[in-house]
Amino acid sequence: MEFSNIEILQLPDISKVTFKRIHKDYLKVLILSSLTLFSVLFFIVFLLKMNVEEVRMFPYVNYIYLILLLVFLVLIIAFGIGFSRRKYALRDKDVTYKSGVLIKKITTVPFSRIQHVEISEAPISRLFKLASLNVFTAGDSSNDLVIKGIKKEESLKIKEFINQQING
Amino acid sequence: MVNNDLFADFSKQSPKGIVVIYAKLLFKAFKATWILLIIFIQRFSKFSEEALVYIYAGIGIFLVFFLIRAYFIYKNFLFKIDNGQFILKEGVLKKNNTSISFDRIQNINFKQNLIQQLINVYEVSIETAGSKDTEIAIKALSYDKAQALKTALSLVRKKTKQIELCDEQHKPLLKIGLKELFKVSLTENHLQNLLVFIALVFGVLQQLNDVFKGIGKDDVLGNYTDVNPTDIFNSLIFFIILMLILFVIGVLSSFVRVLLFHFNLTLFIKDDSFDITQGLLTKKSIILSKAKVQSITISTNPIKNKLGISFVTFKQAVSGKVKKQQHKLIRIIGCKVAQIKTIKELLYVENSVDDETTYTPDSYYALRMYFRSAMGIVILNGIILFLLKDVTWLWGNMFVIPLTFVLIHLKYKKAFYQFNKELLLIGKGRVETHITYLPFFKVQNIKINQTIFQKRKKVVNLVLQTASGKITLPCVEENRAITLYNYILYKVESSKESWM
Repeated sequence: MEFSNIEILQLPDISKVTFKRIHKDYLKVLILSSLTLFSVLFFIVFLLKMNVEEVRMFPYVNYIYLILLLVFLVLIIAFGIGFSRRKYALRDKDVTYKSGVLIKKITTVPFSRIQHVEISEAPISRLFKLASLNVFTAGDSSNDLVIKGIKKEESLKIKEFINQQING
Repeated sequence: MVNNDLFADFSKQSPKGIVVIYAKLLFKAFKATWILLIIFIQRFSKFSEEALVYIYAGIGIFLVFFLIRAYFIYKNFLFKIDNGQFILKEGVLKKNNTSISFDRIQNINFKQNLIQQLINVYEVSIETAGSKDTEIAIKALSYDKAQALKTALSLVRKKTKQIELCDEQHKPLLKIGLKELFKVSLTENHLQNLLVFIALVFGVLQQLNDVFKGIGKDDVLGNYTDVNPTDIFNSLIFFIILMLILFVIGVLSSFVRVLLFHFNLTLFIKDDSFDITQGLLTKKSIILSKAKVQSITISTNPIKNKLGISFVTFKQAVSGKVKKQQHKLIRIIGCKVAQIKTIKELLYVENSVDDETTYTPDSYYALRMYFRSAMGIVILNGIILFLLKDVTWLWGNMFVIPLTFVLIHLKYKKAFYQFNKELLLIGKGRVETHITYLPFFKVQNIKINQTIFQKRKKVVNLVLQTASGKITLPCVEENRAITLYNYILYKVESSKESWM
């Protein structure tokens, strides 16, 4: 392959890019939101157990609590391990995000292919002044790039930067 | 030649459009109520004369109502070209105003269904990119007006380019006659067509069954499906006859499908676009410009290969969340080697990839597929044992296991990729062989996925997202994947060509 000898050497290398971690407060957001979800689930099971005869008679009803607790713990551990792997990088001409515990993923979107950029704030994220940056390209929108858990000001700055690069 | 003035004011469709709209409304109503009609016909003799009068009157009122509705839909459907925008006003009660700027227009297609063919009008559909409502259809225009509209829309779009309208002088690159069509249909994937046919039949039967159950006649169809299964399996002859019948149905349904979709297929090449016309009941004419094609796939199977024919699938850009697969796929069948060469040359002028190195996925790819299928088969066996408690069913493994093994082996053997400076070539398939050509600059975004098992083997999945769907290179060696990743990004970011 001729270019692999001549051209590739000068190409910017994705594996040599210094990535930036997302904001550390986002871990709290993750834990808090799963805590909320699981409290609701626990409460539902509790209510069912109190009020519905069939559920109370179900012999393994206490195991449901155990399973829920287990899932919750696994989730928290996964968040803990995976959190330091959620990183992003901006280069002159593209934006990259990587993450993943069991499946490691890295995605790069060139600015020249971006259709539009969106900033969204979920309720719990808003408490910590965090936002997520959504980048859309043509085609299946499910496969585009989302950077969750960066400071609102930072996300606005990135959005501005990308818009400049697209139009400039 | 510029007919811009023709569309400067709001114009209506051809008055014949009322017929088209009326037919469409009736068809929709029929589709919703055909079961009721069947019941009505079946019980025809049981209705009293008085009731019949009411029923006929009701149907009559509906027919008139639809006619009036069709008239108003026609009357309120107005379109014009103004200031680089195509403007459309429609809606009887709920008014709708749409305007589309020319640079968002992706394709202008002509279509004719049976009724439109009979009264000689054309449906013009305007496909756009970057919005949810991807298609606007003008139901009925005379040929001249349809052409004029197309010219007007294309002229403003490509200001410098003159559109030639000299179809007569052009010789089609590809024209498939009835005889050829028959030959092609014999080489189709009959199993797939058979399954489609069976699914269709079962769908209708299910619907009928539901209705007759609803009115307390559930044994009407019961007789047809209530056959003792042991009788079937005891009789080998019955089984063979069944297979033969299924085979014949498969071939027939292939033929019908090919005839319906590809009847009178002609392919012209004009400047830098393809002009494709095909279809029996619904005649479709599609102009596909070179720039809109995201990737092409050339497919063949062993029999087709012997005859030297293959089919080509063009993938276009789609926008929003369009679920309908057929919208972005345009398929032409029965291409000979020389025609394939012309199409390839037109799309990707760059030198061929034939001399480049062929890379195959890591053997982990095969390993993973074997492992997953083995798991699947074990689970399936477990379920069968648990539910049916009958060991004879496990003899099915004699058939299933070798088949799975062969299919996986074929899939692994047929997977490869090649690339030159501009173009990526991806091969895949089991019985059929599909080869996809993707120019690097059409890539929208790029992704690497690696599971923990893949990490141990130092392989990754490389996923290229294009405007017409994603293309995955499975189990690529890690370093090579990163090199490709960097190179593709470099190509996309330095490309001056528009991907659409």
